[in-house]
Amino acid sequence: MRAIYKKEIKSYATSMSGPIAVAVMLLVVGYMFRYYNLSYGTASLVYTVFNSNLIFYIVVPVLTMRTFTDERRQKTDQLLLTAPVSLIDIVLGKYFALITVFAVPILVMCILPLILIPLGGGEMMGTAYLSILVFFAMGCAYLSCGMFISSLTDNLIISAIGGILFVFATMIIHNAYSMVSASNFASLIFFIVLAVLLGILVYVMTKFYWASLGVILVCALAAFAAFMVSPDWFGGKSEKILSIFDFFSHFESFAYGSFSIPDLLYFVSVSVAGVVLTIARIQKRRWS
Amino acid sequence: MIEVRNLTKKYGDHIAVDHLSFKVDEGQVYGFLGPNGAGKSTTMNIMTGYLAATEGDVIINGYNILEEPEKAKRTIGYLPEIPPLYPDMTVREYLTFAAELKKVPRKEVKLAVVHAMQELSIMDVADRLIRHLSKGYKQRVGFAQAIIGDPETLILDEPTVGLDPKQIIEIRELIKSLGRRHTVILSSHILAEVSEICDTVLIMSRGRLVALDSPENLARKSAGATVTITSPATADEMRPVLEGLEHVTGVDFTDDGEGTVTAHVTFDGEGDPRKDIITALTAGGCSYYSVDVQRASLEDIFLELTDSEDEEYDDTDDEMTEDAESQDRSNSVKTQAGMVSDEKEPESSESDSAADTEQSETQEEADSGEEAE
Repeated sequence: MRAIYKKEIKSYATSMSGPIAVAVMLLVVGYMFRYYNLSYGTASLVYTVFNSNLIFYIVVPVLTMRTFTDERRQKTDQLLLTAPVSLIDIVLGKYFALITVFAVPILVMCILPLILIPLGGGEMMGTAYLSILVFFAMGCAYLSCGMFISSLTDNLIISAIGGILFVFATMIIHNAYSMVSASNFASLIFFIVLAVLLGILVYVMTKFYWASLGVILVCALAAFAAFMVSPDWFGGKSEKILSIFDFFSHFESFAYGSFSIPDLLYFVSVSVAGVVLTIARIQKRRWS
Repeated sequence: MIEVRNLTKKYGDHIAVDHLSFKVDEGQVYGFLGPNGAGKSTTMNIMTGYLAATEGDVIINGYNILEEPEKAKRTIGYLPEIPPLYPDMTVREYLTFAAELKKVPRKEVKLAVVHAMQELSIMDVADRLIRHLSKGYKQRVGFAQAIIGDPETLILDEPTVGLDPKQIIEIRELIKSLGRRHTVILSSHILAEVSEICDTVLIMSRGRLVALDSPENLARKSAGATVTITSPATADEMRPVLEGLEHVTGVDFTDDGEGTVTAHVTFDGEGDPRKDIITALTAGGCSYYSVDVQRASLEDIFLELTDSEDEEYDDTDDEMTEDAESQDRSNSVKTQAGMVSDEKEPESSESDSAADTEQSETQEEADSGEEAE
């Protein structure tokens, strides 16, 4: 793991991607800081951090698009996978390198609350640092998912666009709740759509036509049967499922001054899920 | 020691490797031969743990690559078909990374890197970016990566591709010397290379092993020779003389149009038939300008074993001819004809370069003859 971590850090430092990501983050954070704190004279850093979330649109693709895409394109994955290193070590080495690069501007952000002390920021120091922590956790979750996206393709552009779309989807999905009706029947339809999507996924993974059709039928029938037995159970369930991908709401809550451990745990579990999926994805490629 | 048992790899309906089994002993050089798509690279990828097998086991130096991958991988150095290089690294950085990845003890990393660079004579590009290197250098950097950390087994997928003739000779010498201490498995399209370096040849065709033997034994099994005679005599004068000889299975004449006739005589016996021919021609009153013999070569055996109704064979044939030609130009490599006649005529092999030139001409003639047919 050490060797891969070292190599990744070096490659971020010597290529354009590391400096660009750090520069963009500092620029955006610096601008927000000037705007909310210095111009308006607010002592709370929360607004600055909250509004800095748009950096993920750039940072996630810039940092993650190459992680596994480039290895596959250059066939260097053959070196990594035939070396006496476990797959977990490879993925974690890369992931920790991503986090390390991301942590550089975060560390710079940690200076900001100190600057705000003359404005009366001393009292809000705790919330300020907690908001930076949540921001960092969200970044880790994004980087983990971005890494997974990069393991899906060997095309850099698709990998980058996938990353941007993912950030976009997770930022706006809370708006989609209102579009999906909370009625029982609408939820049933939503479940059937999910069953079809699952079927398509099965087909893509296995190329086995009957299996995917079976999955769709079984899931759809199960949902329908459940609907017949207890229609009320379905109410609002679609919203719950969509909220799995709702990064924004978990991030937003702290802006209202409520720092919650579950929100932090949410980001941690998404990070773990991204790493596990990446490992599974690479393992799957060995078998196909 | 490496043991491959019942190895099968399927891509959907396509069977890339079909119940392949063989054993590889220590301290020998093994050559994988086979047309494109025969499953050589797939087999190597499975043996090194890059791909998983659908069925079967691979035991590398006592460890099953599927069950104890890390222990097994520690004993292998692998050079894939496309060298796995990071273009943004310098050669030294890259090899240091490879050494660390292969868990070379930290104190020995520097030494191991220098040693590998010396073996492949790439010291002069040590601090250049890999992106700026030529193909031959890249190939050698990939090779250096494989030997770093001194693994017991080396698996090399087409190690001499992209090298210039001088480098090819150097790499072959290196492989031979490595073969004394390590087990080496290499794949190649170039038959001359395999017969020169390898102690044992494995011929694969469509995922199956069709032959496993030493190059000499393979050549012996498929006995026979073709003798090409250029003579100012006419076909009618030569025919009775040649057909009267023992072991002759066929005589074929072509008119060269310059007052000479070329006869192709095929034999099925062992040994050199030229002496008999020359005696017979002289006795029959026919003069001649040249008599050349071409024993059944590895190439013939290769074609015989892998020849099948599918089109893959045609591609390979073209490629092999190209390979052979490129080497003829270099004069570096003993061609098929050269290889065997060297054994028969020790006196000619002493004056190496001259003999090579001659032999490559013979080969070129043979090639153009094949094309004409």
